[in-house]
Amino acid sequence: MNYTCRDCRYYLPVDAFMGMCKKSKEKILPDDAFCAQAEKIAKCKFCTNYSENRDYLGKCMEISLAYPDMIAAKCADFKWLGLN
Amino acid sequence: MSDITETHINYYGKQPADLIEERETKRPLTPRAKVARDLYLEAKSSVSLEFPYWYTRRWEELDGEIPITRRAEAMKAGFMHLTPAIFPGELLSMGKAAFLRGSFPMPWLSEAFFMAAEDKLYKEAQESGKLTADSFTTMGKGGGNVTKSIGKVISIAGKFGVRVEEMPIMIEVAKKWKDKSVDDVGHKYEQLVPGYSEKEALMRSVICMFDSGYTLPQGREVMNYYYPLQFGIDDLINQCRESIAEVAGYPDMDRLYFFRATIIMLEGLQHWIRNYSEEALFLASIETEEKQKSEYLEMADRLDWISSKPPRSFHDALQMIWTFHVAVLNEDAISGLSPGRVGQVLYPFWKRDIKNGVINQEKTIELLECMRVKFTEIDCFASMGVVGGVLSGNTFNNLCIGGLLKDGTSAANELEMLIIEAGISCDTPQPTLSMLYDEKLPEEFLLKGVECTKIGTGYPAWVNNQGAMEFLVNNYGHEGMSIEEARAWAIGGCLETSPGSWAPLELDGEIHWIPGGSAPATSVGVHFLSLPKILEVTLFDGMDMRSGQRIFPSHGYKLNTYIELWQAFRDYFSRACHVLTLTNNIQHDAWRKISPSLINSMLKPDCLAKGKDIGQMGSRYNTTFNIESCGTANLVNSLAALKQNVYTEKYYSLDEYRSALLANFGYCTAQETGSYSLVDQVPTDNYHQWKKIHKQSLDAPKFGNDNPFADAIMKEWEDWFCEMAHDYRSLYDQPMYACQISVSTHGPMGAVTLAGPDGRLCGTTFSDGSVSAYPGTDKNGPYALFNSATCWNHSLSQNSQLNMKIHPSVVKGRQGSRKFLELIRAYLRKGGFHVQFNIVDSRMLKQAQAEPEKYRSLLVRVAGFTQYWVELGKQIQDEVIARTEYEEL
Repeated sequence: MNYTCRDCRYYLPVDAFMGMCKKSKEKILPDDAFCAQAEKIAKCKFCTNYSENRDYLGKCMEISLAYPDMIAAKCADFKWLGLN
Repeated sequence: MSDITETHINYYGKQPADLIEERETKRPLTPRAKVARDLYLEAKSSVSLEFPYWYTRRWEELDGEIPITRRAEAMKAGFMHLTPAIFPGELLSMGKAAFLRGSFPMPWLSEAFFMAAEDKLYKEAQESGKLTADSFTTMGKGGGNVTKSIGKVISIAGKFGVRVEEMPIMIEVAKKWKDKSVDDVGHKYEQLVPGYSEKEALMRSVICMFDSGYTLPQGREVMNYYYPLQFGIDDLINQCRESIAEVAGYPDMDRLYFFRATIIMLEGLQHWIRNYSEEALFLASIETEEKQKSEYLEMADRLDWISSKPPRSFHDALQMIWTFHVAVLNEDAISGLSPGRVGQVLYPFWKRDIKNGVINQEKTIELLECMRVKFTEIDCFASMGVVGGVLSGNTFNNLCIGGLLKDGTSAANELEMLIIEAGISCDTPQPTLSMLYDEKLPEEFLLKGVECTKIGTGYPAWVNNQGAMEFLVNNYGHEGMSIEEARAWAIGGCLETSPGSWAPLELDGEIHWIPGGSAPATSVGVHFLSLPKILEVTLFDGMDMRSGQRIFPSHGYKLNTYIELWQAFRDYFSRACHVLTLTNNIQHDAWRKISPSLINSMLKPDCLAKGKDIGQMGSRYNTTFNIESCGTANLVNSLAALKQNVYTEKYYSLDEYRSALLANFGYCTAQETGSYSLVDQVPTDNYHQWKKIHKQSLDAPKFGNDNPFADAIMKEWEDWFCEMAHDYRSLYDQPMYACQISVSTHGPMGAVTLAGPDGRLCGTTFSDGSVSAYPGTDKNGPYALFNSATCWNHSLSQNSQLNMKIHPSVVKGRQGSRKFLELIRAYLRKGGFHVQFNIVDSRMLKQAQAEPEKYRSLLVRVAGFTQYWVELGKQIQDEVIARTEYEEL
């Protein structure tokens, strides 16, 4: 998976086109590649409970509709992929 | 330029054409606010899906639950999962969504506009005629609007951008609300109204602009911040728990569910606020710059504190009212949620902080500037027809200054002086300011207001305090409105007179009576009715000649006399009001059942005392539905032209007039010329065939010139309209009243209307407001305009609206300010309700239209609101340019 700034916990979205790095406060683009300091933010696509059905759509715990890019930092059921 | 300009229109006045007069210099804003405003000017309106996703998910989980509890749980889920976004340097934080200009769709209200053009549901919506206004609306092409899809961002409604990754979920979530949304349920039942097809025809022809019952079910009202400021959220939750113990199991059980739902909702807000507090702590943890780190920590502490407790300081209080303001905005599609008399509500906190040395004037200005930027960030997600055609992208957060205290003395204070000062230094569209003009206000305060209006922000607008109070006592007296309570009023939205009440804020053992809104939305009713289009349909016996569709059955009159014409017009207008009132009542009933207000209800007196939300008449005052008109001056001028040229002087037959209107007096249409201003229209080859009748139409008596012939028609219309509106009953079984603001509807409504008997050409924009003259036709100076505008009693209506454009050279300097204040006074003393100004050289606006990239921050006053020039649609830009420019007073 290629990560972009939108996947980073330091990404502050200004709008759909542009963002800002919470650390450097520099303007960045959402689709810029991860830099050395980047860290993943909790998103559905990084969660064990998420399964993708088709482009940009999937299921949460096989029940609820979900989408991969949704930030799940405040989701009580979020579990990082690869961690038990 | 055509013959029209040379012979009939007072356009740019006498100033040299190549000399552009700059506006009077304004003071710079503080560095902190400048950073915030500059970032705002870069940002685009963007949509995120977090809130609607979680709302819908929770809603589905609770199938079978009591509706108001289900709604509360869904809202709680939405708030809890919003990703907090705090921007560097902010002193006030929190927003509708994670983006700076963030908003989100609310498919539980209406799902139609999520659908792509080819989507079956979208087509169904189009066929029902509901989205017709979209086709005739041009959104602003610059500024923060996402007018077209670019890269991975999809444009919605020519205004909002959504990431391509979120587009599928937006559609899927929307589909879950098919046949369940307020729009769909209301539509199912509104069709049971006898004569429903007439309503569809009215919408398709854009005689009526939009379905106010569900598109913007709240707004055009005044917030009330008393409860959180006085008690804090923990205490409010405890009060609800105590109330539950008192009502559980007793009759009128809806109270139990209301209190339970209020607790759930408040818990959701606490989570939301605390999430921001945690984010501030996180930012502090990665911050290397000490001052910024300290500010993040202070912010975290402040947010954590107000998530439970009442505010400790002015800064806390300002953050709290902002937080609740955003919270209400997130419970419905809302425009015109006015903060009201903030300078008086927060004065006790500020005064205490000043006394204790906690804050000074400079810090206050900085905070108030930050507040201005936050209010400007507010976006409202709705369809293009509503956001562009009605709102011009504006959200109408009106902050009122002046007026009277509970005891009848002047309410102006030092904090309000600073609010004006911040409005001068930080000229942003929000919050717009309105001066509640009263003879008791100090001269120094009024001159400060003039100073602000002069720099060209368009605010404060000037409104008549006593006139508004008279209107309120007349229309809310049966609900207990007294003179004393009427003094607590404020403007809701751009110009809606809204009832308020006084609440006892106790601070350090002292009681301060603070004003706050005490009624639900005035955004609901019959909105808007195109007066020139109804006259057009009257002349063609019920037919819309543009589309060839029948709107009304034949009126049965031969129109042989002016009296018959006037009667036929009134019959059609009344028919429209009848069917639209009934269908709107059904739509709003669906709203209160499916999507009842919880946050706003909790805030509004006396919902907590009664245990009822605002949809169950929990508010102290409930007579808020209205009938809104558009194009008044064009109607009056058209009637005057017909009365003179057809019925009195008999220069032409009515058939000759009909032919001239269908031929557009020999001109190309506005759509063909690409300009919506009368002065820019282009004659066709057969122009000479119609030249005489067109000239005599333009030369007929015009409203705005102190002309008794035209003014008598205006008075006759107003007296009748303001009286007949009371004949219609709202959902709450209260009489309705007249509301006379155009907002931006005069653009799209003009676009679908043929040429008028007044000489206006096909497709051109109507006159704005309700007592503004048609651009270029007021030739006898401002005082003649004032006499015309006040030929009727403005306190019969919720408002009247007068826009004037004044050349900057006229009001320059201290002497210019005094002259300007006297002009304003003269109008308000005559009984005018409202006047607002563009202090701008029309040549600058022309230049800005040609080179928008050079004028990103240029502000203009439209019709009750200030907006960035580049974010206005061309129909409105052309109309503002064409307005008569006064070069002397």
